[in-house]
Amino acid sequence: MMDGTTYASGRARAARRPLLDHRARSRLTAWVLGTLTVGFLLYQWLPILTLSLLSFSGPTGGTTFPMNGVSLHWYRELWDASIMNDFKPPLGRSFLLAIACAVTTCLLSVASAQAMRGRFRGHGLFFYLILLGIMAPGLLVGFGFALVCRILGIETAWNTTAFLVHVSWTLPFGFLAMLAIFNRFDPKLEEAALTLGASRWTAFRRITLPIVLPGVIGSLLFGFSLSYDEFARSMFTTGADITLPLAVMAQLDRQLTPELYAIGAATTVTSLLAILACTFALWGLRRAQRR
Amino acid sequence: MSSIRPGSPAAYWLALPATLWMMAAVVVPVGMIVWVSFWGGRAFSPESPLSLDNYQRFFANRTYMALVLETLRHTATMMLICGVLGYCIAYFLVVKVRSPAWRTVLFLAFVIPFWTSALIRAIAWVPFLGVNGVINQALLALGLADEPVEIFLYSRTGISLAQVPLYTLMASGPVVYMLAQIPPALREAAMTLKAEPVTVFRRVIFPLTLPGVVIGQVLVFLNVMADFATVQTIGGNKIALLPNLVINFYEGAQIRAAAVVAVLLMLCMLAGVAAALRVVDVRRLGAA
Repeated sequence: MMDGTTYASGRARAARRPLLDHRARSRLTAWVLGTLTVGFLLYQWLPILTLSLLSFSGPTGGTTFPMNGVSLHWYRELWDASIMNDFKPPLGRSFLLAIACAVTTCLLSVASAQAMRGRFRGHGLFFYLILLGIMAPGLLVGFGFALVCRILGIETAWNTTAFLVHVSWTLPFGFLAMLAIFNRFDPKLEEAALTLGASRWTAFRRITLPIVLPGVIGSLLFGFSLSYDEFARSMFTTGADITLPLAVMAQLDRQLTPELYAIGAATTVTSLLAILACTFALWGLRRAQRR
Repeated sequence: MSSIRPGSPAAYWLALPATLWMMAAVVVPVGMIVWVSFWGGRAFSPESPLSLDNYQRFFANRTYMALVLETLRHTATMMLICGVLGYCIAYFLVVKVRSPAWRTVLFLAFVIPFWTSALIRAIAWVPFLGVNGVINQALLALGLADEPVEIFLYSRTGISLAQVPLYTLMASGPVVYMLAQIPPALREAAMTLKAEPVTVFRRVIFPLTLPGVVIGQVLVFLNVMADFATVQTIGGNKIALLPNLVINFYEGAQIRAAAVVAVLLMLCMLAGVAAALRVVDVRRLGAA
């Protein structure tokens, strides 16, 4: 009985005067979450930075610290490669494939998003069909496509089958980017053009397209970077002439050397440059539109 | 009125290329896996009689069944870690960071690695995890361990360590989207009505972000279930999960066994997505 009363009164007191007032508690939450976020960002970036650092280690450097000197040895090694591990042809293929995917993704996502605005019968199904490209994992898509090729007797190659499968992965991202832009789009601008006697095609080309250009650039970026880095789908559909991620994995299976770090650092920089180029394009666009 | 008339034939023509493309590259191949998994007989040909032999052979093997459970357990762990981390980060970025400049910087630092190669990001963990790796060097230097810990490379711990940064963004992104949609007035209203901050979160904020949480969890689930590359990079040949089994069978020319594993993987994924759709009506997201 006694215990019960003390407990109850204690709880009443706690309710009347909390340990910290609201503002202090809110600040405490912010600190805890902030520490967690910054901690996570470090955790996320540290391996990438370490890899880049180790790629500059000396000729006797191993795959971990100490670096045994600082040099461009492993980059030179990469440049005058032996026949066994020449990364230049795969790099060229990956780059061309990524460009082709970027352009195709861009065209198909603009067309698909414009079709969605037409609200044709079955547009709901169409939406899910495209989203399937994100949902279906690369392992299943690649494996299934390899089966199709086997049964139909189609030779797999990086510039035919791999291209087809890569676009099915990059298209949904570009499509979503275009839909997001069209959602914020004011149809009155098109109406004005049409009222002034423009044909629908002219209105699209002269009014719609310039306004949705950020989405177009976004779809290009998705098309390029997702294809450039794709591994699972390529593994099943590329054939004998391999792309860069496949060459990296093959080298990893043979032996891990700082050369692999050098190629890792180089491709990461390529990806970052692609992002940077698109960011600049967007920034320039916004400035041009403001004028 | 817009540059395309609702229901105009032009819409069909615009949708046609993407439809054909997705059918040829995704729908038909996935259907093919299901078909091949039922092929009986010895020859690899479409004339094979259909049977359940491949499945019986798979289910008769205890090791494989254990692998299914192992994969589900690993995936559940990743969903929990990435989900909690992702939610905390999303909440901090959207609600707690006041300065737009800082928010942009932190957000970019969070998102940019997504555009770089996941394979390279996995490889980048190798110098950390080995017996002489960075983690062990740090542990020894700090006096937290007397001898190198061997549990990192070629272990499930190492795989998890490498996978968490790969998939946290997927758990976080949809939550960021949902949190940003919540009008600040709603919070203020609840606060004015003297609700405790914890109550505001539990009764107002969290339910409103629930669709984002579920979509994030689905994305993590699907990607971790199918991620064989990270497992192969970190785990070497010592650790295999269900998706690695598909590769192993495929490379061992046991195509039909690979198809069976792939179908099982697919069924697990469909079950997961179906369960998620019961919790949240994803179609309402566009309206939100």
